[in-house]
Amino acid sequence: MYLSRQLRLLPKASIGRSITTSSTHYTTTTGAAVAPAGEHIEIPNRIERSPTDILKALASTVGRDHTAPHYKYHDDPFLIPMSNMAKRTYAMSKEAGRKAAKWIKEEHRELFLHQEAQPAIEKFAPSMVYTEESEVDESSLGQLIELGELKDAVLVYNLLEQKGMAVSPELKQSLLELVCFHNNQDPLPEEYIEERWFLQNNQRRERHGKTWKDGDLAEKLYAEIEPKTPQTYAALIRGMAKYLQCERAYALLQEAGEKQIQLDTNTFNSIIQIISFLKDNAEQRWQLCTELLQQMSQQKLRPNLGTLNAILQCISTFGNFKLARSSALKVLPEFKQLGVSPSLGTYYYLLIIFCRERGPVSHVIVDILNEIAGREFTVEHPKDTYFFATAMDVCRNHLNDKALAKKVNELLHTGNNYDLVGDSFKESIYYRNYLALLCQTESIEDFMLTYDLLVPNIYIPEPGIMEEVLRTIEINAAVEHVPRIWSDMVVFDHTHRESLLLYVLRIMVDNRPNAETPSQSQLPEQCAKVALDMYNKIEESVRRIKKVSFTGQMLGDILTLLVRGDNYEKASEVFSHIDKNQHRIPGTPAESALQEYVEASIKEKSPSQALAALQYAVDNNMESSVIAKRIHDGFTLNEAHLAKLKSLVGESFLEK
Amino acid sequence: MNFLKKLPLQLAPMALAESQICKSDLHTSAVCCRVQSGRYRITTKRNRPLTYEMANPPHFIAHRKSWNSWNTSTLLDSQRPAQTAVEDLFIRKFITGTWHALTCSEIIIKRQHNTIRIASIIRQAISPRKMYFLIGYTEELLSYWMQCPVTLELQTVADKKDVVFKYI
Repeated sequence: MYLSRQLRLLPKASIGRSITTSSTHYTTTTGAAVAPAGEHIEIPNRIERSPTDILKALASTVGRDHTAPHYKYHDDPFLIPMSNMAKRTYAMSKEAGRKAAKWIKEEHRELFLHQEAQPAIEKFAPSMVYTEESEVDESSLGQLIELGELKDAVLVYNLLEQKGMAVSPELKQSLLELVCFHNNQDPLPEEYIEERWFLQNNQRRERHGKTWKDGDLAEKLYAEIEPKTPQTYAALIRGMAKYLQCERAYALLQEAGEKQIQLDTNTFNSIIQIISFLKDNAEQRWQLCTELLQQMSQQKLRPNLGTLNAILQCISTFGNFKLARSSALKVLPEFKQLGVSPSLGTYYYLLIIFCRERGPVSHVIVDILNEIAGREFTVEHPKDTYFFATAMDVCRNHLNDKALAKKVNELLHTGNNYDLVGDSFKESIYYRNYLALLCQTESIEDFMLTYDLLVPNIYIPEPGIMEEVLRTIEINAAVEHVPRIWSDMVVFDHTHRESLLLYVLRIMVDNRPNAETPSQSQLPEQCAKVALDMYNKIEESVRRIKKVSFTGQMLGDILTLLVRGDNYEKASEVFSHIDKNQHRIPGTPAESALQEYVEASIKEKSPSQALAALQYAVDNNMESSVIAKRIHDGFTLNEAHLAKLKSLVGESFLEK
Repeated sequence: MNFLKKLPLQLAPMALAESQICKSDLHTSAVCCRVQSGRYRITTKRNRPLTYEMANPPHFIAHRKSWNSWNTSTLLDSQRPAQTAVEDLFIRKFITGTWHALTCSEIIIKRQHNTIRIASIIRQAISPRKMYFLIGYTEELLSYWMQCPVTLELQTVADKKDVVFKYI
């Protein structure tokens, strides 16, 4: 940097000379051919840099670290979140702390009036408080509108009105725009990112009905502004359309049209977006859409990206698949001709138009990905953040194509595209679909690589996905992964799901590890540990709210695993639990479980345990002759034991 | 004082008297700081717990242990030495008070450019959720006060005894 600045100060000729001489010097020493005499080095012009360019360059050298939690969490084992619940709670409590501090600042404002920073930073000082008594004028209203402080702006406006001070039409117009934009409701402050990140899915659900405040300040302001300018109409129409007061918004648009008022493109876009609320069936919607577009062209309005996305949104609500498809295909080339380049939101709409659950299979996503692979996107439209979750959903549920999913994932991790993943809800949908697809289509080894990469810092599987993973393990008989998955399940708090527990047990019981192969020699022991852990977990859960109760099947599996893991002591403890509570536990253990237990008792030379097992089998109407025979052959029984055996299975059996 | 001997006799007493006056002006009490500050007295039962930081007296700074405040305010021509010291005191009081009975080490304050990083060791006596609340609160409120970004860099220990280096 320093050197280049010095160079710029020198006269041009001397730079050229000094550099050429040095280069000839270099070439002669190495003995290569001398550079041609006329060689001239072009020094590039200085590039203007912004103050944050160095920071951006530095930031581009570090990516997301898969081995560490997100940087909003504290890097300490105690403070690292280990379940989806914890991720949410921790981030939200940190923000709650922030809010508390802000409240203190506002409450004890006299303590925070010092000015340390130069220049002063407004955000660190307590905000201005406006009350009924404050001295206000037009300029303060203007300032508040500039800052987007809706509540204060409205208060000041009312004060001005009370005092009979005139407010200029321009200011009224900008206040109208502010009120319409937020529907006269204070929005969630921008600095609370976590709240946005975790809250958005709730908001979406409640946005189906009309929320526009009829007869409120916005309409009052609108009535006051005379003469009405196109901007006045535009503000009110857009506000009504945004908060789904559809009929009146459309009526207002028509009124503007009758009065020959020249509206702008974005106002038309907002009406096109709500066509589905205005008309009932596809044909009428499409007709209204074309009418509106014709009006736009009459008014010589140039459509933009918003228009394209609004039309596609309208089309995506068509129940008629064929009409939706053909009209979407008609719209796209027209906009291409107009030079409107589509955003991710456009592709999102295309996906939901073409890939419907009950429609024919469409491979439109292949073409989309070919078109946009390797491109970096920025936010251009509110719906841009819906693309990745939907694309992955299409890959899994519509096409079930692994290669496509990988392409989508690659696109997500290109440049800053990860910013467009949306919120926590969409992110988890994305990864849910991605993992589920991979575990259905990939080999278990490859899948586990991805699993290790994503879990637990980027994504924590929900119980449903855990079941998918277990299914894959079962199909591949990859019992060696079970201990690891089990420890994950414990950490993610999935141990109160009975179906998952049974699944884990079934996999371990059905796939008896081969002790001869060195890679599996540790497995019986590990499986026994898992089983014992599960047994303890279930016993503990009696005291918790989410209770899991033992079933005979479950206990039989645990018993088998403990026997196989050479933990006879614990096995007999589990068996005595089965034996004692046989009236409380639904179902019985499998016969094979009892047989293996008896087998182990023979090895351990404890006939009374074996006889207890036999007693249990007889009591519960299970096939007991095999066990009795094993006991008779395996032990040299004393009188008492023999008598017991006889009483259980009868004299006749022994004579055979 | 050797040079006094070479002076003429009549001059010597005068110079001596003068130097005695100077001495009493400059120094009126015994030097305590070298003996007491940053040092801990041995108890009779030998049960006073010391962390590693406390166990090393000040002359080991930069040898066995490090500074508790890191800033450049005392270098030549640098600004705000007094304010920085007072602010550090405030931060320490604020943290020990906000994280009440939870801090089990000294509070290290590092200033770089416009940010302040505060490091400490915290006892795991409250749930992580509450800890996150306090982290958010402390960072935000201190940054309102100092008017610059403040970051907490905490580590947690399960038990207070984990940081005890020795008992004296």
